[in-house]
Amino acid sequence: MANAAKESQEPQSHYQGGFHLLQKELMNDYFDQMTRAAEGDGPPAVYLLISGNPVELIRAFDLLPVFPEINALQIAAKHQSLPFIQKAEEVGYSTDNCAYVKADVGLWYQDGQAPMAKVPKPDLLLTNYVGCNVYLHWWEHLAELSHAPIFDIDIPFIRTSDGEPRAEDITYVVRQLEELIPVFEKVSGKKFDPDKLTEVMEYSKETGELWAQIKRMTVNRPSPFDAYFDAVTMMGPLYTLRGTKEGRDFFRDVLKMVEEIKSQGKGPLPEEKFRLVVEGPPPWPYLRIFRDMFARWGAVFVASTYSTVGGLWEFGFSHDPSDPLRSVAMHMLKWNLTNRNFLQRYQQLKSYVDEWGADGLVIHSVKSCRLFSAGQGDMREYFARQVGVPTLLVESDLEDPRYFSKAQMRTRIDAFMESLEHHKLVGLHT
Amino acid sequence: MRYMAGVDVGSTQTKAVLVDEEGNIVSSTLVDTGSNVVRAAERAFSEAIVLAHLNRDDIEYIIGTGYGRFNVTFGNDQITEISCHAKGITHVNPKVRTVIDIGGQDAKAIHVDETGDVKDFVMNDKCAAGTGRFLGNSAEVLNLELDEIGPRSLEATNPVRLSTVCTVFVESDIMSHLALGRSVENILGGVHRAVAARVVALARRVGIEEVVALTGGVARNVGMVHALEEHLGVKIFVAPNAHFIGALGAALFARERSLALK
Repeated sequence: MANAAKESQEPQSHYQGGFHLLQKELMNDYFDQMTRAAEGDGPPAVYLLISGNPVELIRAFDLLPVFPEINALQIAAKHQSLPFIQKAEEVGYSTDNCAYVKADVGLWYQDGQAPMAKVPKPDLLLTNYVGCNVYLHWWEHLAELSHAPIFDIDIPFIRTSDGEPRAEDITYVVRQLEELIPVFEKVSGKKFDPDKLTEVMEYSKETGELWAQIKRMTVNRPSPFDAYFDAVTMMGPLYTLRGTKEGRDFFRDVLKMVEEIKSQGKGPLPEEKFRLVVEGPPPWPYLRIFRDMFARWGAVFVASTYSTVGGLWEFGFSHDPSDPLRSVAMHMLKWNLTNRNFLQRYQQLKSYVDEWGADGLVIHSVKSCRLFSAGQGDMREYFARQVGVPTLLVESDLEDPRYFSKAQMRTRIDAFMESLEHHKLVGLHT
Repeated sequence: MRYMAGVDVGSTQTKAVLVDEEGNIVSSTLVDTGSNVVRAAERAFSEAIVLAHLNRDDIEYIIGTGYGRFNVTFGNDQITEISCHAKGITHVNPKVRTVIDIGGQDAKAIHVDETGDVKDFVMNDKCAAGTGRFLGNSAEVLNLELDEIGPRSLEATNPVRLSTVCTVFVESDIMSHLALGRSVENILGGVHRAVAARVVALARRVGIEEVVALTGGVARNVGMVHALEEHLGVKIFVAPNAHFIGALGAALFARERSLALK
């Protein structure tokens, strides 16, 4: 009777705010550049990984940064990942293998023709994050297919208790970056220009600082944007355009828009009833459905760890134009989520819960990435029992639609929100 | 007297419970869910009304729960089965702190407080390992009725060790044990142990606090109760109407909401 109508009347969040449109425009330009490069009209392409990405060095040589992870998630968000994944399975990848890898390998076999762009073949394959050894083999496979040279930057994992990289680790990474410069010179056919790098670093510094300010805005009540679903849309420009004027201008504009929304006392939902923190990447193939499962409860994500895989600017990092290589090395070593140890990850989540004033924590575990998901069971227990924050662990996938079950997901989220609602009601009366 | 209803549409069976305004159960019914989920919800509900000698208009508030809760098209609200099981079980036995619910396609563990509120819960992932379906498939492979497998599992003298908890692969696993000449009882002992191990691992994630209750359709299986008790090392409380606890919880929520409206 009333139920069908009821479901359609449930609040939905604003997906097409100003910054979403702006982001779309910028990313479309970037995808057009990729397509032109694929057609032979563009700079050489350097493939690199998101985690602590050193895009500044690529921009300093006017090379085109290509992030296969972004391509994979774009395909998934456009609901087209499955045929690419199946293609990779046809050539021998297991169903349990990382679905980002499979979508990208499948894309290779479709001649790089993705829904949003034609992806250029690599002129250089840069492994800038070695914390995931599946990623190393991904790049190896791409090297075999494309015959492009591969350059490994070995980034030591942070294993000190205070989270500080050791002096020799920093030197080790800086030396490798120095070795990378002649490689970039060869690929680009350009001589290294320190002034150009300084200019790129200036833009990066400003971009990171703007991004940190934007991220901090979500401590407000209501939060002016969703630090998961909205923040992930800003990650595209943060990685692809960092170190450029366009990138800097985008974040200036976003900050203005967010400040405007804040001054009007608005947020992504008509009413912010719950503030949540989230760990893990989103289920890209079901992004909107997943978002609505929280939106219908008036739940807004005020902080997310996923938006910090590329860098942790909001906790004080900023690129240093006066010491570019050291600062890029610090970004890769210390200032990104995935190179940190688990206790640091706990600490980051805890500060989100405390400082951002969260009602609960949601962990989205990724079925095809055991590396990122390992330890999340303990994490759930630590937060639920020791910190005392209601914590929900759900599982699907970031790329493979076959792992998402709508009814099961909805039941878990509804049950979690029912209990949060009840606790809130009880809390109000005590 | 005013009446309220809870309709629990599960993956395998649909249950309806009617309560009066004092929270007493006046009728409970059970039908197979089948392919027409809306129809199953309606049938369970109308049968409950008939059984209680009531009319449709006597029912003031209806809440749907279970996977098919949005198919209870005549209902006022929907609440998840997690909240409903917690509510229902503490009504029957207020001392329960841990609920293990094994249904047709999922297994869950719920930590409840003394008021019946959910403190924490965990559920199986998108996989029917360790659920009623696993037991159902095992019965089918052995050509036994579902009701038979529990009692016969208790006669196991040397339960087999299954190499899988996968609901699909259990078939070939059972076949291989039969080929090795293992008795049906020992195979069933192994089947029940495998489910218990999987479910207990789930339950330990919310923490085992006594009293532990088993709810859902699988609670009728004595072999399962025994296997869980053995694995947990604690006595398990099984309500006489364990199968209806979700629907009862929904009816009790309906009662609260209906009374709050007056």
